[in-house]
Amino acid sequence: MTLPELLSLLIIILYATGTLTVIAGTVTRNTNLKRVSNWCAASGFALHTAMLLFAMLGSHFDLSKGYYIQFLSWSLLVIYFYMWWRMRISFLGLTAAPLAMLLFIGSFSLTNVHGKLPTEWTGMFFGLHIGTLFLSFGLLAMAFGAGLIFMRLERKIKTKAPLNEFDKDMPALATFDKVNHVAVMAGFPLYTVGMASGFIWARLAWGRLLSADPKEIVSILVWFVFAWLFHQRLAMGWRGRKAALAVIWLFAISVFSLIGINVFMPTHHSFIQ
Amino acid sequence: MDRDIYLIGLNHKTASVEVREKFALTDCKHLEQGVVPVEGCIKEAMVLSTCNRVEIVVVGEGDGVINHVISCWAQARGERLDDLEPYVYKHKGLDAVQHLFTVASSLDSLVVGEPQILGQLKTAYHEAVDRNATRVVLNRLLHKAFSVAKRVRTETGVASSAVSISYAAVELAKRIFGDMSEYNAMLIGAGEMAELAATHLLNNGIKKIYVANRTFERGKLLAEQFNGEAIPFADLFSQLEKVDIIISSTGAHEAVIRAKDIRNVLKKRKNRPMFFIDIAVPRDIDPDVNGLDNVYLYDIDDLKEVVEENLAQRQEEAQKARGIVEAETQTFSRWLRSLELQPTIVDLVTRSAAIVEEELAKCMKRLDGANGDTEKILRNAMTAVAKKFNHEPISFLKRRHEEEEAGTRYIDITRRMFNLDNETVQDEPHGHRRRKN
Repeated sequence: MTLPELLSLLIIILYATGTLTVIAGTVTRNTNLKRVSNWCAASGFALHTAMLLFAMLGSHFDLSKGYYIQFLSWSLLVIYFYMWWRMRISFLGLTAAPLAMLLFIGSFSLTNVHGKLPTEWTGMFFGLHIGTLFLSFGLLAMAFGAGLIFMRLERKIKTKAPLNEFDKDMPALATFDKVNHVAVMAGFPLYTVGMASGFIWARLAWGRLLSADPKEIVSILVWFVFAWLFHQRLAMGWRGRKAALAVIWLFAISVFSLIGINVFMPTHHSFIQ
Repeated sequence: MDRDIYLIGLNHKTASVEVREKFALTDCKHLEQGVVPVEGCIKEAMVLSTCNRVEIVVVGEGDGVINHVISCWAQARGERLDDLEPYVYKHKGLDAVQHLFTVASSLDSLVVGEPQILGQLKTAYHEAVDRNATRVVLNRLLHKAFSVAKRVRTETGVASSAVSISYAAVELAKRIFGDMSEYNAMLIGAGEMAELAATHLLNNGIKKIYVANRTFERGKLLAEQFNGEAIPFADLFSQLEKVDIIISSTGAHEAVIRAKDIRNVLKKRKNRPMFFIDIAVPRDIDPDVNGLDNVYLYDIDDLKEVVEENLAQRQEEAQKARGIVEAETQTFSRWLRSLELQPTIVDLVTRSAAIVEEELAKCMKRLDGANGDTEKILRNAMTAVAKKFNHEPISFLKRRHEEEEAGTRYIDITRRMFNLDNETVQDEPHGHRRRKN
């Protein structure tokens, strides 16, 4: 077993343990388990960071498709730890840990199609394109998780339905809305920068801005929805249920775009060329 | 002689309120000796009396203890024994211990889990201590009861959810807003329940409380009480924009606030959530307000329902708590049995033998290359020291045991001094005594 393989295995084990413990901790209402989960995710994340850095600085840097997904998984955790640090909310681990794990594992099913990237793929705009979009995806994922629980709790409080133990352990509605707020306020500018840098890069690399690629079409659609939500939140004071629902939809389209299009449709964003 | 713990009492389950009033022992301070004097067959005594129960715990000797206590009780109230007897329960030994633990943990209370009873029990105990009516057994029993109550509170959810209307309302507010320090509340109209809710809100750190009352002067008085601000009733709607939690309890015959009024307010607030608590009957706030986004409305019936659910939940948790009480009763009974001379001497000797072996092992490790002879000599020497050291305490205990009262007391002191029960000492176990000095 080579060092990178060992490292990957260790990361998978840590993320899997983190996922299982956060679920078990939530179900059994055990704070110690949740703490264990956070430590697992944090140490997995540290290894993950090291691994990405080594891969990038290594002599034969191979920008394989798997690398992107690993980077996406990493960005998700960056966002999670940021939210945790800022708002002291640990329930987002329920979204972050499993998603990061699935993405990380999924990245290995793609590495078998190596294919070195063309040299023009390594421009600054390309890096910006990937980085900002992945961060905004991470933000959306967190707001998605928060949105689902918000919808459930809000409905219960509004209709005066009895709350069970799980509900009672959850933070206040206002906290969930704050996650949504941060995700939209930071996510939309990031997404915009990501889109713009993508187009600029396409213009530089291929000589054209648009190529009627399915990914591009869906991404522009997402941008419009995102822009509308950003406007509604900022100018119209949207919050609560409507904002949560909008983010849930946004995230669903993004996931469709990430999995459905990148894997199954002919596109120059494809993971399996 | 067979000495034992007895508990005689009545509570809201065995006696009606008339009977409880008739036999309450709350105002018996004039009896210098207490309701049940420590003399004759009574060795220790403590009386707890609240509006829901009377519990008399005594340590007594012989067969007549129960009847003696009941007649003392009837006498203290100047009533006939026969009027009291049918309502009274009588527990002896471990049953008495278990009952006391159950009462202390508030599992026997009218509202299961309400903490007042523990405070009342503590007061009753301190009164008994002041009257010098408690000795080894009751001291230990009551301290144990307090720690059992604490364990039940922390390990089960018996006292975790709100069981009063006003507190349930505040808990809901916390579910919606979280940290209260950024939010304002408004009282519309005044009433006992509204004031109670406002007090809870203040205790939870609410930023400011506004009061809108039809008579401005009355509102002003109330606002002063909460360090808040009174506003004229006519300005109600213009001020609503500032507040997040509204507690309404006016005597109006029809709705004061309707959805169409709130829609504008919401727009000005940029949809920041509002929580309406309507505790008036007939209702002050039109139910259609709840249909608006980011607005939550609970009326008195909704809150009652929440309280009832919480009560049911407490009952479930009470089952878990009873397990704790049972286990702790067993622990106590082990201690009770150890209060005899022989086991204490055995424990003392075993403890010193264990120390000898421990130190011997350390010595042998240091004396590298020592043989069996050295070990034998060392062991003999150390055992001799331990034996001589134990000799005086043991013969002292034996002498004291001949006396009636001192025996158990010194045995208990010895057990605690040498920590023969391997207990962890709680913080400030005698804090209440120190404060008095």
